Amino acid sequence: MVGVTDIKFLSPENLLNLATDVVPLLIMAVGMTLVIYIGSIDLSSQSVANMATVLATVTLPVAGAASALVVMAAGLLFGAVSGIVTTRLKVPSFIATLAVGGIALSVAQYVSGQQALHMDAGQRNHAFGWMQGSTAGIPHELVLALVIVGVAWFIQNRMTAGRVLKAIGTGEPVAVASGIRVERYKILAFALSGMFAAIAGLMFSVKLSGGSPTLAEGFLLPAIVAVLVGGTPLTGGVGGVMNTLIGTMIVAVVRASMLYLNIPATGQQIFFGLVLIVAIATTIDRSKMRIVK
Amino acid sequence: MFELQNVEKRYPGVHVLKGVDFRIGDGEIVGLVGENGAGKSTLMKIIYGAVRHDAGNVLVDGVPVSFSNPRDAMKMGVGMVYQEQSLIPNLTVMENIFLGFEKPFVRFGAIKWKKMAEAAGKQLRKVKLDIDPAMITSKLTFSQRQLVELAKVLTLEERVEGKLVILLDEPTSVLSKEEIDLLFGLVRELRGRASFIFVSHRLDEIVTLSDRIYVLKDGAVVDVMNSAEADIETIQKKMVGRDVNHEYYREDKQRPYDDGHVLLELDHVTIAGRGNDVSLNLHAGEVLALVGVEGSGREPVLRTIFGMKKPEKGTISIRGIPVRSFSASESVSHGVGYVPRERKIEGIASGMNVFENMTLSQMRNYSKSGVLRIPAERELARDWIRRLSIRVASENSDCGNLSGGNQQKVVLAKWRSSGSEIILLDHPTRGLDIGAKEDVYEMIRDMSADGVGIILVADTLEEAIGLSHTIAVIKDGEIRKWFNCQPGSKPSPYDLIRYMV
Repeated sequence: MVGVTDIKFLSPENLLNLATDVVPLLIMAVGMTLVIYIGSIDLSSQSVANMATVLATVTLPVAGAASALVVMAAGLLFGAVSGIVTTRLKVPSFIATLAVGGIALSVAQYVSGQQALHMDAGQRNHAFGWMQGSTAGIPHELVLALVIVGVAWFIQNRMTAGRVLKAIGTGEPVAVASGIRVERYKILAFALSGMFAAIAGLMFSVKLSGGSPTLAEGFLLPAIVAVLVGGTPLTGGVGGVMNTLIGTMIVAVVRASMLYLNIPATGQQIFFGLVLIVAIATTIDRSKMRIVK
Repeated sequence: MFELQNVEKRYPGVHVLKGVDFRIGDGEIVGLVGENGAGKSTLMKIIYGAVRHDAGNVLVDGVPVSFSNPRDAMKMGVGMVYQEQSLIPNLTVMENIFLGFEKPFVRFGAIKWKKMAEAAGKQLRKVKLDIDPAMITSKLTFSQRQLVELAKVLTLEERVEGKLVILLDEPTSVLSKEEIDLLFGLVRELRGRASFIFVSHRLDEIVTLSDRIYVLKDGAVVDVMNSAEADIETIQKKMVGRDVNHEYYREDKQRPYDDGHVLLELDHVTIAGRGNDVSLNLHAGEVLALVGVEGSGREPVLRTIFGMKKPEKGTISIRGIPVRSFSASESVSHGVGYVPRERKIEGIASGMNVFENMTLSQMRNYSKSGVLRIPAERELARDWIRRLSIRVASENSDCGNLSGGNQQKVVLAKWRSSGSEIILLDHPTRGLDIGAKEDVYEMIRDMSADGVGIILVADTLEEAIGLSHTIAVIKDGEIRKWFNCQPGSKPSPYDLIRYMV
């Protein structure tokens, strides 16, 4: 629609910008996909990403490029905690991840002292400058994102872990009765989701050259929408990473169109909320959920 | 009078009811018998409105009716006393009795408890139960709850015109002798108010209580008998449909097992929560059948061996080595396979294709440092599709769309191909048609010839007798009697039933 009214909207340049802008969201959504694929949900992603922006900014002067590893490890840890709480303590994933998200947010607030931090431009360029560059007109950021999607796709489709996640999503009792240590793999899915969220936060933080406990605000809803619109239902088992790639593109186009049509950022969340409800209501496999509480 | 005319019901791949005619007069008690899978429960569901029939008529007093849910059926006076009790445990007795029908007691949006208690008391008197209607249901004994359930159905009397039809689904399965007598006395007294459809596995009770008996087999009524002329043996023969055929269970292929090679030993094992004591030995090539009534504790034994439950006491040894940690994955790595009773829930992952299902228990053999060798998986699936003549388009077909028999073959192939030496079969032929059943019997014989030890919980007694080398009769979680089951000298169902009940 927007493309018809303004031909510039569809220019390769504009589309490339569009894609690059959405990189952090894409990475978060890919992590989220793994969790939704097993029929759970991760509500901590946004807070973990927030925490990641703060940790990245704080550790950069000390650790340089290795700060990326610190951030990823933190994400992995928080995700694993969500997974352990869900599987061992049998707390439903939406509550477990909500709680872990709260903790992550608090860590971000504590570490940052409740304020926006800034990266030293020299240090940033030294450690992560390569991310901001581009080759043959294609931003490195975008290449990196596609590599990460590729890795996630490989895990999902070619590795034992991915097969197990599928089995859990389609029929967890079958996986249990086949002698699979289901809990470990569920924890793995949550841990990976945490790590992907942290990577998303890291890249966002590099992009904006700073960190704050509210930097990634407004990511959660679009990330879930991207997964569901892409075609991975809340009940899990079908869809996957590639679907989420498409879902994220849809979200990106919608978001850009809204900007173009001068819809304020505050209004966007209303729209995504509505899309989420519609997406869930139309895609959910009701035979798997007879009673909804 | 309640009548079914030529009622048909199909589910995808199965013809459950084939033109059933059924009639029950006012005040009559009708027995309904049939083997598992004969269509009894579907027939009942159609009668009380939980399932809609595909063709034919349901008539109440000669007028065709159509029930879209149990509430519709209740409006016409048809009520069900459920086997798995349907009362909500944390509500009071009176709340349960009038659940969903509180309207007469409501004034200005609030329930008048006194009025409800009075009405509930009246219902409870009908079933001669002297309890406080305000009692919490979970505090009642099982048989008291059953009577409350009956009282709940009897409230229909005041709400509908005409006579009631009440279904009793296995009402005696957990009652003591005295409680059964009490229930039967009550049912006979209530004939003036209602007619009863009585479903039970206990044929002697059916003969005692009912006026007429419908025998259901493979979805059709094969006989209607007057109880006065019926005897248990004839009913049983009609239910099975033939004298037990040796050919059917492949008895000619039964070979003696290897007496010297013990695969699995249970030494005074106490199954969790049962307080019992089970000991058994399973040899290579042996088919050991656990026989008992529903709820006698056969499944918990299987699930304990498979590691899904931890035994409280005793030792389980596999190939002479005691098992120390109990989990399904541990058992699988020791070569134990489990074909669960609920095929669609625990057996087959619908949404995954044939090769994904087959390698689910053995991905370690089909991967290298975590990366799957998908071509090898496909090869395996193609091989087993051929060996078991599984009817699928290809190894990429979604297992959810296969027929029950083909699904079961995939589950069996999963364990066979991973080289499991101890295979636990829980109702492996449940819901399969005759041809598929014979295929499964054939596979059991093949496995046994290959030296696999099998523990079988069979769908019917005949199946257990036909297939097994050894039978253990279980009652209340303990093995009461062992039978040797060599071809030519197999025990009869009666020999077993004596120890089952």
